[in-house]
Amino acid sequence: MRRIALVLLAGFLAIAPASSAVEGFPDRADSLKFAVLGDNGTGEKPQYDVGRQMAVAHMTFPFDTVIMLGDNMYGRQESQDFINKFERPYATLLQAGVLFYATLGNHDNQNNRFYKGFNMGGERYFTFVKKNVRFFVLDSNQLDPMQQAWLDAALQRSAEDWRICYFHHPIYSDGGRHGSDVSLRVALEPLLVKYRVNVVFSGHDHVYERLKPQKGITYFVSGSGGELRKGDVRPSAMTAAYFDQDQSFMLVEVAGDDLFFEAVARTGTMVDSGVIHRGRADSGETR
Amino acid sequence: MKQHVVAARGVALHRHHRSAAARLLDRVERRYLALPIGTAIAVIWANTAPEPYFVVAQSLAFFVNDVAMTLFVGLITQEIVEATMPGGALHSWRRWSLPLLAAAGGIAGSTSFYLAFVQGRHEAVLLAGWPIACAIDIAAAYYVLKAILPRSGALPFVLLLAIATDLFGMLVIAPRYPTLGMPGRGVGLILAALGIAGAMRALKVRTFWPYLVICGSLSWLALYREGLHPAFALVPIVPFLPHEPRPLDLLADAPDDDAVHHFEHEWNSVVQSVLLLFGLVNGGVLIRGYDTGTWALLLAGLVGRPIGILVTVRAAVAAGWRLPRRLAWRQLVVAALAASSGFTFALFFATGILSTGPMLAQLKIGALATAAGSLLAIGAARLFRIGRFSR
Repeated sequence: MRRIALVLLAGFLAIAPASSAVEGFPDRADSLKFAVLGDNGTGEKPQYDVGRQMAVAHMTFPFDTVIMLGDNMYGRQESQDFINKFERPYATLLQAGVLFYATLGNHDNQNNRFYKGFNMGGERYFTFVKKNVRFFVLDSNQLDPMQQAWLDAALQRSAEDWRICYFHHPIYSDGGRHGSDVSLRVALEPLLVKYRVNVVFSGHDHVYERLKPQKGITYFVSGSGGELRKGDVRPSAMTAAYFDQDQSFMLVEVAGDDLFFEAVARTGTMVDSGVIHRGRADSGETR
Repeated sequence: MKQHVVAARGVALHRHHRSAAARLLDRVERRYLALPIGTAIAVIWANTAPEPYFVVAQSLAFFVNDVAMTLFVGLITQEIVEATMPGGALHSWRRWSLPLLAAAGGIAGSTSFYLAFVQGRHEAVLLAGWPIACAIDIAAAYYVLKAILPRSGALPFVLLLAIATDLFGMLVIAPRYPTLGMPGRGVGLILAALGIAGAMRALKVRTFWPYLVICGSLSWLALYREGLHPAFALVPIVPFLPHEPRPLDLLADAPDDDAVHHFEHEWNSVVQSVLLLFGLVNGGVLIRGYDTGTWALLLAGLVGRPIGILVTVRAAVAAGWRLPRRLAWRQLVVAALAASSGFTFALFFATGILSTGPMLAQLKIGALATAAGSLLAIGAARLFRIGRFSR
């Protein structure tokens, strides 16, 4: 019995954060708390490690939403894969009633939008509201005229305090393998700027990066929720912070006019944190 | 006196330069170099100043791809209609049968290699790009074979094969056009376009302008409203134009003996300008944007299509078909490789079915890279010591 207790304790210590990753959040009762996960669906150990770390964070930072930035599933995508690459790694969170909202990446089968666990309602692009935040979820594999027209109308209609957009391919990134998708940026950015989107999350580059605000919008790349391209960031003048040495995910709290964020490594170490003030182009300072 | 001499020298120099420039333009036009030149400029521009390039390219894309390219598709249709009418070079079914079978084999080969590669890499989102893998650059195949196998039966064989393949591709991509179409509102317009074209034909209208301006515009609107690729607007109109049968030398100048060919002469220069713009607007890709789709297209064009063509011809010959005159197996291998470049048509197909995004970017790189097929064809001819390399 004692041996079992010791093993459990050792296991807990192994996954517990080295420094408490969630201390800096205001933890307001009326705030929205969510996690951010990208390029995660490998079904391999690092994905499970990140899943466990998210569960640990959930104990002290009870988020009810996870936004998935695409490549939610790599390789084969049959029914057993939905278990091995999604339901098992995040079993604790799913059992706690956390809802995952996915976008499609280049490795995702387009039919995965019908999978209940991804809450996409069968759509390639959609919008949903949580408290004072409206999320716009896009399919960046190709930005067809229908999707652009839809986004224009949806952004125009939105009356919430915060507008957060997420899609798989980053329009700003210092990832060495992919980097910024400039053609997508030229097509998309005018709408994001016009309707004053506050924050954009993307994946695709298997690293974590926070960009300095571009035309008033803060961009994050969080594409190492399972995959990792170690040492891939090529820092530039637009880099605010980055972490490319291990898998990571993000925790976010939107409290009034402030958005607090933390990037957490697979080991539980906090690798970046900060706050973004709504309506301030120079926001995004490190805490 | 000295001034007169200087002036005369100046005029002579001006004439010399002018004729050199005219010769250069003529060469560009005759060898269909406008598109590669436009593409080269675009690639350099996109990789040195991407944001300004994409701003310009995306603002011109609709005009170039959906409006101006109507003339390119119209010209290709015009050439095919004349070659396939009674007395035309492609009229005889016997000439068509083996290249048609080879085209089917090429389509099967390129498509299956493309799909297998994409599936193997688990990037199902790229499956939609399979028609791009079918495209054959008619101009590239024509000029490569004319240069290395000028007197073999490879040239007409590959032209027939390429036409059949690209016709198939066009039929596939026309309804896949990504648009905000308003279904059901174009039928009346297309009927009006066809009715007016038929009436003009009955009235023996021989100038092409009314066909182009009135019927072409109505047809363009009809296709656009129906959510079909509007660049195909002249396809149903061109058959109403008065035609003359013509030999199978599709990219050579047709005889200037009537109003119809006059139209072709005028269009050819305009179409070359359109192709320059098309290359400029669509050819600009960030080199590091290559990905699975790039390799899939390369594999499909350079390996899948030649294998598909050769295996099908082999099976057809075993079943009793005969190889055309002056086309032995070694020439056929070179011909199959000459057909591996997708370039112009692959770019056209890609922009016809995909919208802005990384999927389109990586497939465009693949489309440009298949131009390497022309080099493979030259290399194979050299290896086999045939045609220009026989000495």
